[in-house]
Amino acid sequence: MTVDTTELELLAETLRKTMTSLSGTGLDEVLTGLGWAELLTEARDVAISTVFSLLGETGAHAPLINDVVLTAAGGEAGGTVTLPYAGGAWVRWERTNQPGAALDPELPLHHADEGERVPLAEGRRALGWWLVGTARAMLELARAHALDRVQFGKPIASFQAVRHRLAETLVAIEGAEATLVAAGDELGSLLAKAAAGQAALTAARHCQQVLGGIGFTAEHELHRHVRRALVLDGLLGSARELTREAGTVLRENGRAPRLVEL
Amino acid sequence: MNVEEFRSGVRAWLDEHDLSPGHDGSFAGEVAQLARVRRALFDAGWMRYGWPEEIGGLGGPAVLRAVLGEEVTTRELADPGIYSMVEVLAPTMLAYAPKRLAAEMVPRLLDGSEQWCQGFSEPGSGSDLASLTTRALPRGDDWVVSGQKVWTSLAQFASRCVLLARTAPGHDGITAFFLDMDTPGITVRPLRTMHGREEFCEVFLDDVVVPGDRILGRPGDGWRLAMDLLPHERSTCFWHRIAHLYTRLDRLTAETSSADDGALGAAFLALHTIRCRSHATQRRLADGAKLGPETSVDKVLLATAEQRLFDTARDLLPGVLELDESPWRSEFLYSRAATIYGGTAEIQRNIIARRLLGLGRE
Repeated sequence: MTVDTTELELLAETLRKTMTSLSGTGLDEVLTGLGWAELLTEARDVAISTVFSLLGETGAHAPLINDVVLTAAGGEAGGTVTLPYAGGAWVRWERTNQPGAALDPELPLHHADEGERVPLAEGRRALGWWLVGTARAMLELARAHALDRVQFGKPIASFQAVRHRLAETLVAIEGAEATLVAAGDELGSLLAKAAAGQAALTAARHCQQVLGGIGFTAEHELHRHVRRALVLDGLLGSARELTREAGTVLRENGRAPRLVEL
Repeated sequence: MNVEEFRSGVRAWLDEHDLSPGHDGSFAGEVAQLARVRRALFDAGWMRYGWPEEIGGLGGPAVLRAVLGEEVTTRELADPGIYSMVEVLAPTMLAYAPKRLAAEMVPRLLDGSEQWCQGFSEPGSGSDLASLTTRALPRGDDWVVSGQKVWTSLAQFASRCVLLARTAPGHDGITAFFLDMDTPGITVRPLRTMHGREEFCEVFLDDVVVPGDRILGRPGDGWRLAMDLLPHERSTCFWHRIAHLYTRLDRLTAETSSADDGALGAAFLALHTIRCRSHATQRRLADGAKLGPETSVDKVLLATAEQRLFDTARDLLPGVLELDESPWRSEFLYSRAATIYGGTAEIQRNIIARRLLGLGRE
């Protein structure tokens, strides 16, 4: 199967629609039917970036990180694998709709015993795309609110303090996306996951503030994205941990690797 | 010539030809070193790649200039700030100067025989550049210019100046001139910066006569000319600066005995992020895209990374810049300006809010 740009756009549109109405096992089944496993073999990078950023933008979830990590280790898509989490914890992202105790109650994420070491670079890139998508979703909510909400007789989007928070959010997102596009090797993927985690946390902070009281209610959907960002940031290493790890690599290497060249 | 051939050619040539600076670290020394490096690279041909033949170039894609600058900067052969000025001045001449003038003048800039400056900002017109009041009045075929410029880098060394002056009200009333700096009526007063250099100047213009054939573009094109500079500044110049900052991160890594890998990693991550972003921008430019307000993102990322790097240096080399004379001190101080020059961080965020996020007017 070859995937050209038009096909990809069509696929992305289909996926976006699907993800708006389906999540969890339901979405997992539909994606399997659409040939997710084949796509992961035939057009791996573009499949990962498209599907995972759409998960973020739509707020849907599916246990697809298992497939990325399993196939990167030479296995088959469709199962589950024990994944490292921040703080030395281990988790399993089950292919069920049974919620665990995670901060994001929609996710079937459960504590697990220590698992085997598996290659993490591609999984980190996938989660990076997811985090960037989640950050974009938060930014869009805050942007719409800022244009809509009137105080002192004008939209709050006209106040520089509000504008600059949203601008800062976009800068973080765009920077993270650039690191994801450029990421190829182990270190590049680690840095990209760190940048994406940081961007999502930046978005959560600024967008929550811009949304004011309404963004603090359970009725508004912001909190779902905030929860997701916080949970995904820790999976396969948090921004804080990965940044420190990058510093260790740098110190041991004695020189900063220039990971992209003209 | 493709990028790979060019890069390996430049590297091999620079390995053979030692252009290491031997000056005393003064700004005048930096400027003399810059002229020496340009001359040598021009004579060897490297400085001419990426520029069209009509201005003394040897052709090839513009990205070759970014590659050359990265090599020069990484080897610390020239100060990246003043090295990169050509990247703004020469394309301006190419786009706006009469062909004969560009063909005559630009090679002098490229080969190091002249320094030029850019007279844009004024005491009353910084972020609000379009409010500039230096005026040019027609007299016969000539123009007579009076007013004051400030933050004019290299003015005390410059032979020419690309100057913005008002010929009518409004944005469309700004006209760009190509001025000889030895014209009577020009007074240059260097300003000393907080990092101890006389890098930029005040320039006073009292009834300075500029010949009519020294207009860049047509009367009223000045604002457009100023806006057209941005893509140049934010592609090649940024790449050079990023290369320079990587050398400082390398130096910090070598000199620190701190085990604060979180701080070191954060400085690395910020620098890596702008390198990736700038790389994408150069790609788009090479593919023929017209750069616009999205380069404000590059500018914010770069300024933030630069300040974070030197803040980290201060943290991880405790006492070094406070107690001892070393390049860390002046470079730390200089990094404070990164969120001010070339459009302040606030102006960039205003542009992002208005143009990229569609938040409407303030």
